[in-house]
Amino acid sequence: MIGQILREAWISITAYKMRTFLTMLGIMIGVAAVVLMVAAGQTVQNEITKTFDSMGTNLIIIGPGETVSGGVRGGRGRPSVSFDDVESLRSLKDIETASYIVNAAVQAVYGSNNYGVNVYGTTPEYLTVGNWEIEDGIMFSERDLKSGRPYVVIGQTIVDELFGLQNPIGKTIRLKGQPFTVIGTLREKGDGLMGDDQDNIILTPATTLRQRLRSSPRPNYSNVAFVKVTSEDRMESVANRIEYQLRARHRLKEGTDNDFTVRLMTEMVEKVRSVGLILSLLLAAIASISLIVGSIGIMNMMLVSVTERTREIGTRKALGAPNKWIMFQFLAESILISFIGSFVGMFLGVILSQIGGYYFGREVPISVWSVIISVSVAVIVGIVSGLMPAFKAMKLDPIEALRFQ
Amino acid sequence: MAEKLKQTVEPVIEVQDICKTYFMPGGMSQSVLKHVSFDVVPGEFVAIMGHSGSGKSTLMNILGCLDRPTSGVYKLAGKAVSDKTDAELANIRGQEIGFVFQNFNLLMKRTIADNVSLPLIYQGVGEAERYERAVRMLHKVQLNGYEDRLPTQISGGMQQRVAIARALINNPKIIFADEPTGNLDSKTSDEIMDLFTDLNKQGITIVLVTHEDDVADYAKRMIKIGDGQKIYDGLRTEYQKDEE
Repeated sequence: MIGQILREAWISITAYKMRTFLTMLGIMIGVAAVVLMVAAGQTVQNEITKTFDSMGTNLIIIGPGETVSGGVRGGRGRPSVSFDDVESLRSLKDIETASYIVNAAVQAVYGSNNYGVNVYGTTPEYLTVGNWEIEDGIMFSERDLKSGRPYVVIGQTIVDELFGLQNPIGKTIRLKGQPFTVIGTLREKGDGLMGDDQDNIILTPATTLRQRLRSSPRPNYSNVAFVKVTSEDRMESVANRIEYQLRARHRLKEGTDNDFTVRLMTEMVEKVRSVGLILSLLLAAIASISLIVGSIGIMNMMLVSVTERTREIGTRKALGAPNKWIMFQFLAESILISFIGSFVGMFLGVILSQIGGYYFGREVPISVWSVIISVSVAVIVGIVSGLMPAFKAMKLDPIEALRFQ
Repeated sequence: MAEKLKQTVEPVIEVQDICKTYFMPGGMSQSVLKHVSFDVVPGEFVAIMGHSGSGKSTLMNILGCLDRPTSGVYKLAGKAVSDKTDAELANIRGQEIGFVFQNFNLLMKRTIADNVSLPLIYQGVGEAERYERAVRMLHKVQLNGYEDRLPTQISGGMQQRVAIARALINNPKIIFADEPTGNLDSKTSDEIMDLFTDLNKQGITIVLVTHEDDVADYAKRMIKIGDGQKIYDGLRTEYQKDEE
């Protein structure tokens, strides 16, 4: 019986091709818009996750304190966390390791090539806290750090810009006119959250940077320090321990503000993620308006169709069609329209999102959500918009319907 | 004549004292049929006549199981119809009754074979068998070879023959024809009435509603309704004599 009903419904909707197509178009556009927006939202979420994964999420970031003058909080204060402070943290419970950086923006020169780069003066532990891996060569050692050797480990952007296809290991580059030996290269990370190039980086021992690239009246203080926590659920307690330890070392009296800041990467991740989630929900919500409009289109067309086919309904009933049959036929018509519309819309959405991803150079996922949304929309919209017209058709009195002109 | 046949054959239609009253808001009511009784036995060709507003359409709707009497008993093929549900009535219409309408009521977007076999869908008959039976019925109404055309491609007379084929397809106990020639010219009307006569000779029971005398002439028996009451029931030829 279901087969018969579907066949009758199919013949009925194909009898009015233009009208059926236009009605389907509404649903197609609606579903395509939702799929497209879900894909866009997911792409943003994925990019965020990817970037955070490349940085590592169980990270605590210690920076300089905020300047306070006359009760007004200003920007960052002067560096207050010393190299020794950071080293003292390594022995605390639940801390995997800790590192710090001092940085300098310089021009890197090799032969006739040069490139503007951020040089990080740091410790060997930076590899771990920054989630970096050595692609080729080696990282500088604790001894290199102690003795301030002019060694550098360079990012892939620097490799490409300065060396092209040459092997950089063992070559000497110049930073501020000083020679540095390349002892290793870093594995590529790609773009950061703000579209910044994470691979435009050079690592060198912090002591070397202070001696040769950027002197400071407080040479043993870091711009920023990183602490890698053994697991994400220990973040809070470790942050408290760090605060306690640093306050003690800085001899801060009770009631005074910290002269440093402690921020948890997990909190930042949470914030950015929730913004991303709200964004994608918002996009989907806007797109679903067009879906609602599309389903109103189906209901409208089905109501017109029932009125127009009153005599047909009367005839069918006189010839033995049970009321249920009539109802299911009209319901089947609206479900067929929304089903086909949704499927075409889904493919349209997927194809458009892939074209968009190709155009913007992003990897756009084809999500199961698209399929789930499309199928459920097809069924729900079909039933909801078809129900009222189908009931109207079912309730028609055959005598009245046959008399209808 | 009807009385004589009744003793030997079980009637296909038994109408006993049926009334139809429409109740209007405000306590008003209007009696459209008042205590009508008659039988129709298999093989009869009956014309129900009456002026518009006489109640003949209401009677036809009750006979066709599209409506229920307010009181009285109506039995179709020996079964009382009055207390059936809507779904049961639909089933009876699909199995026991063939309808022919004044304006044909064909589905204009569907092929002639689809139209003819439409009642069979609701009896759960498969597609191939439906088509085959439709072709056979079209042969019976001299429309061989038209099965795959659309109703819009044939004349009104042919369309009515398609409708007759559709009425015949489920081997009904009885055919109800409501002004079947009302939309046709006189020559085509004659052809359609000849077809009905022919079918009646093959043993098919026909009840015809008309207000045209020359259409009613094709029927053997005539029931005249006036003001909701049966005012004549007998041979058509005798009624004409009465009038003269």
